[in-house]
Amino acid sequence: MNCHTGPRSIKISPGEKVQQVLFMGNPNVGKSVIFAKLTGMKVESANYAGTTITYTTGEIAGGELRTLATDVPGTYSLQATSPAEEVATQLLGQGAHTVLCVLDATNLERNLPLALQVASLGIPVVYALNMVDVARRKGIEIDVATLEKLLGAPVVPTSAVRGDGLKDLREQILQCASSHDLHPVTIPQDMEDFWDRSREIAEKVETRAERPPTFWDRFEEMTICPLPGIPIAIVVLIIAMGLVVGGGKALRALVLLPVFDNYVAPAITAAVSSIVSEGILRNVLVGEYGMLIKGIEWPIALILPYVAFFYVVMSFLEDSGYLPRLGVLLDNVMRAMGIQGSSVVPMFMGYGCAIPAILGTKAATSQKERLMVTGLVALAIPCTAQTGAFIVLLGDHSMLALVGVYAISFSAMVVAGALMSRVLPGKVEPMLMEIPNLLMPDGKSLLKKIWLRIKQFFMEAEIPMVLGIGAAALVAETGALVHISAALQPLVEGLLGLPPEASLALLLGIIRRELAVLPLLTMDLTLLQLMVGSIVALFYLPCIAVFFVIIKEFRLKFAALVFVGTMVFAFAFGGALNYVGQFLIRLFSQ
Amino acid sequence: MITSSLYSANGLSSYTLTAIPTHPLLSSLGLRQGSQVSIVSRQPLGGPIVIRLGQRCLAIARDIAEQIQIQETAR
Repeated sequence: MNCHTGPRSIKISPGEKVQQVLFMGNPNVGKSVIFAKLTGMKVESANYAGTTITYTTGEIAGGELRTLATDVPGTYSLQATSPAEEVATQLLGQGAHTVLCVLDATNLERNLPLALQVASLGIPVVYALNMVDVARRKGIEIDVATLEKLLGAPVVPTSAVRGDGLKDLREQILQCASSHDLHPVTIPQDMEDFWDRSREIAEKVETRAERPPTFWDRFEEMTICPLPGIPIAIVVLIIAMGLVVGGGKALRALVLLPVFDNYVAPAITAAVSSIVSEGILRNVLVGEYGMLIKGIEWPIALILPYVAFFYVVMSFLEDSGYLPRLGVLLDNVMRAMGIQGSSVVPMFMGYGCAIPAILGTKAATSQKERLMVTGLVALAIPCTAQTGAFIVLLGDHSMLALVGVYAISFSAMVVAGALMSRVLPGKVEPMLMEIPNLLMPDGKSLLKKIWLRIKQFFMEAEIPMVLGIGAAALVAETGALVHISAALQPLVEGLLGLPPEASLALLLGIIRRELAVLPLLTMDLTLLQLMVGSIVALFYLPCIAVFFVIIKEFRLKFAALVFVGTMVFAFAFGGALNYVGQFLIRLFSQ
Repeated sequence: MITSSLYSANGLSSYTLTAIPTHPLLSSLGLRQGSQVSIVSRQPLGGPIVIRLGQRCLAIARDIAEQIQIQETAR
């Protein structure tokens, strides 16, 4: 999930007949999971509303004609009130051979109004009654035959995460699509809402077993009560951090570093030395900043273990539906930053990578909220690779320093949030959010998701890392670094109290965020210098890929604001920390 | 029957919604006149109130909850 690659393009030769299928439904009913399993496409999914904010198109195999499926963002109605709903109505307006309407079996009454709105447009519909397994566990039984009769269209019970019912669903979709023509439709401005009819249908088909609440039911509620919800949240976050820091450290120290130091690095050095004679080229390849040594050691032996454990934790939290609960508990803290609790989801994703976080803000209800979250993520939330770098740099010296960096990051968000909410026009909407079921994530799909993300990190990190480090090695070996360092000396040495060669971190940090931290590893720094370096790296410019996304999603003016804001924050905070730290050291050494 | 705001509901009872402010999402989420809700929790420091509506919980900010009028239905 580091950087999102665009949807794979699907080639259709001119004149070729294809069938269009739209996947629609309320937010968080599992459209994307069904879509991914029917088309074999890799799309992001998680257990909360708004994971799909743009649409993806894939192909369903097995029909006589080629069948294109589009995963439409989740909507509650066809009245376009948010960017995601506008996308949905626009796609529907273009028409489809069939709409697959996904219904949440645990919440049927609330899901039916949209289904009935879609059906009222005259487009053929197939219904997937999803999460029947969760519904059954909650004591809800749905009479599928009656529902089919009342809706006048096929209803297929499914459990998409487990893969149950999907074969049947595919057949129904293909059959329905092939027996109907394309229907371009106009969506009336003021659509009838089918609330009463939905209630009637739900009452007819649903039977709820009266049963005493299970432990899980009670636990679900506990997580959204301040007591014991807040202590539970603290325990969850401590376990999460412990797993990332401890698990990553163990993997690095026990497996990756020994293998790299004893086998990989000597082998590369020997191989290169036998081909390339001593000189600049050999140094660039395998010297102090050798691109083939650091370019492999840094991303794989140092950063990857933390990234891997971070994605384990994040994927688990996403699929469990815990994050929106955290948003409810944190709403009052987040309002201090000028945003609201629902934004906990994109903010948390920012700890993975800023790009999906920024794209994820599309589900936000106001433009101001989008800008606020984007600004905060770009400024003060370290991505997972940078977190890995912080743990490598600080964790071995002092865990307190590591915690300190995160405490400073958090306070900076409050300060920057207060500033931004004054500067930016508009209003942040108050919280209004549906809380998803709390689920135990399905092991198989969890593993798949984690594996995809780790693979993506590797693909996206490795080449920029090697090239960036190669450029740095060239700069160092040719002596250009001396000139650059001299030019930046007042800033780096004067203001921040770092050795001149730390200017390298500032140069590399533009490429990837962790590269603003890692060069400090090779320097012999005091704890204060390590802290200052980390803080500057934290607030410093987001990486270049993030910058392009900000420019693309918002206007250049906002990107410029982010550019200036992060620079000013980085040097102001870093400088202040340096001076205060030095003052305290002098005070106590007297 | 006395009506009061959803935000001031005390938590033990079940309530019927009697007046809803115009907000595009409220009705889509199922908050309509006549809907039955119960209170799950209220977050401290003016945070949102969490209600149960049918099978689902919804978090509603104080600003909005104060505009929603309710009537007690059963104890």
